[in-house]
Amino acid sequence: MSELILQALYSGLLQGGSYALIALGLALVFGAMRVINLAQGELVLLSAYIAYSVESGLGLNPVLAIPIALVVVCLTSALVYFVVGRIKKDREINSLILTYGIGVILTNGMLLVWKADIRSTSSEWMQEAFVLGPFYSMRSEVLFFGVSLLMMAGLWWWLSRSWYGRAVRAVSSNRDAAKLMGINPGYTELVSFIVAGILAAFAGVALFSYGVISPAYGGVLTVKAFIITVLAGVGSIPGVLIGAVLLGVAEALTVTLASSALQELAGMGLFLLVLFIMPNGLFGVRGRRG
Amino acid sequence: MSMMTNMNANMNENMSKTRLLALLALCVGGPLLFAQDHYVMSLLVASMVIGGIALSWALLGNLGGMISFGHAAFFGVGAYTSAVLSMKFGVPVLVALLLGGVGALVAALAMLPVLRLRGPYFALAILAYAHIFRILATEWTSMTGGSGGLSNIPPLPTLLGLDLSSKSGAYFVILSIVLVFAVIYARLRESHYGLALRAMHESEDATRVVGVNSVVLKGMMLLLSAFMCGVVGAFNAHYISFLEPDYAFSALWVTIPIVAAIFGGYRSITGPVVGAVVVYLLDQLVFKNIIPSGHQLVLGGLLVAMIVFSPDGLLPLLRKLFKGKFTRSKHAAT
Repeated sequence: MSELILQALYSGLLQGGSYALIALGLALVFGAMRVINLAQGELVLLSAYIAYSVESGLGLNPVLAIPIALVVVCLTSALVYFVVGRIKKDREINSLILTYGIGVILTNGMLLVWKADIRSTSSEWMQEAFVLGPFYSMRSEVLFFGVSLLMMAGLWWWLSRSWYGRAVRAVSSNRDAAKLMGINPGYTELVSFIVAGILAAFAGVALFSYGVISPAYGGVLTVKAFIITVLAGVGSIPGVLIGAVLLGVAEALTVTLASSALQELAGMGLFLLVLFIMPNGLFGVRGRRG
Repeated sequence: MSMMTNMNANMNENMSKTRLLALLALCVGGPLLFAQDHYVMSLLVASMVIGGIALSWALLGNLGGMISFGHAAFFGVGAYTSAVLSMKFGVPVLVALLLGGVGALVAALAMLPVLRLRGPYFALAILAYAHIFRILATEWTSMTGGSGGLSNIPPLPTLLGLDLSSKSGAYFVILSIVLVFAVIYARLRESHYGLALRAMHESEDATRVVGVNSVVLKGMMLLLSAFMCGVVGAFNAHYISFLEPDYAFSALWVTIPIVAAIFGGYRSITGPVVGAVVVYLLDQLVFKNIIPSGHQLVLGGLLVAMIVFSPDGLLPLLRKLFKGKFTRSKHAAT
């Protein structure tokens, strides 16, 4: 039994990697623009479907879909930015409804193109077992966990060291002061949407490589990303990673100890618990409470 | 001068009253022409169901200042509560309808902690809640029949010789439900609570300072909205006599009402209902024929276009256009 639990912890950890990428995309855009992109999960799913097409249509390894997914998802994300930027008033409320609408468009677009069937990878290379001491996983899980860590390290470097990254942070902490320093907020907003697109593209290919996808899954992904940001607080990258791993572990444990049907309920339970006990998140962030 | 404005106000009131009466006559009389046509009647019933949800959604959005993506939860909980009560406990259907609303209200009680969260967080949290209720309905098989669903839910009864389970009977039931809700909504908006809520919309902090308990008020709006949506869900369950989790908690019960409310203008009372009829009929008669499997695509596009070009709804936009002409001609006369 304890072996099973350890195995569940390990799977949860690996799963947490790509969850973190989705949540970071959501948090980054929210930080830069005070807009929650409800279509973030659909962007991830779009990338997953591109990986599916590359594999089933061209017979290539889904990893090779990353360049195409990057282009398509980043363009879509930029498009979301341009539409959101056209909102004239009540941006907080209207941007929610707007991105919800974009999510509906994407979900149904994917339904039209790829049909409602559940898809998963058939690549043997991806599904090969990877043994690490007492732990088992698929090769793809370990591969993409590594990729996620690299992406997060890259994002951390970008936000703290590069000019654009620092500009994004400057705008999110004080918009007017950033303007006075010669930063164009519109530009950093666009950049944050594109970076969120990059994260979504990788997360999507990862999702397809070790899991199953269907057009309705995008909304669930957005909710998961949101739960992680509630757990973590929007502030820090390590916080989001810990929140994501917590969610992954909670889900994996539920699947092992109870049933797979209750998997999603685990995340919700965790979410409610944090909301009741620590309304500011595990790593404390202000401004979320009314 | 003040008499003039008074007269103007009276005239406006009279005009809106006649317009309301005309609308009512259209709602009651129009369908009588189609009473024999089952297809038309079922479209009308379905569009009024959407109208009821849209109205409850708009109440929360307009008075409470909260955007909900979780109304499918209230709809589904209302439907299941009413269906289970009438099937397993023999509660009369019309009573069960109301209890369905109460069930949704209880579900909303569980959502009250979410009120601690501000704008976007609230919207997402309520979305998460909707998922919880769908999973519960699927997993609690002994009560809800699981994913297989419930069939043979008792139909609406015959009352005073009127068969409410027929298409036209059902239409009048849902029409009365929506009308009663609209009246409650209107009364509420005119009351002191409405005033406080409007003030809250301007500045929540300022209203708190003058002694309005904004959290309690918002909570009340959430409960009322949930109750309304639950009654509509309960009606729908008895009307179609069948329920399954994927249907009862479908995202459709969120998407179409939101599109309808935004389309008709969610800050008015008639807007969401008129919007629902227009959007639902467009969806069923036009979009569905063009793209059978992903017709919601068009609804999403409509939503995006409305928010970008006319976030207060199409009706206010048209009204503004006409009003512009009207006042200009008056100026020309004087």
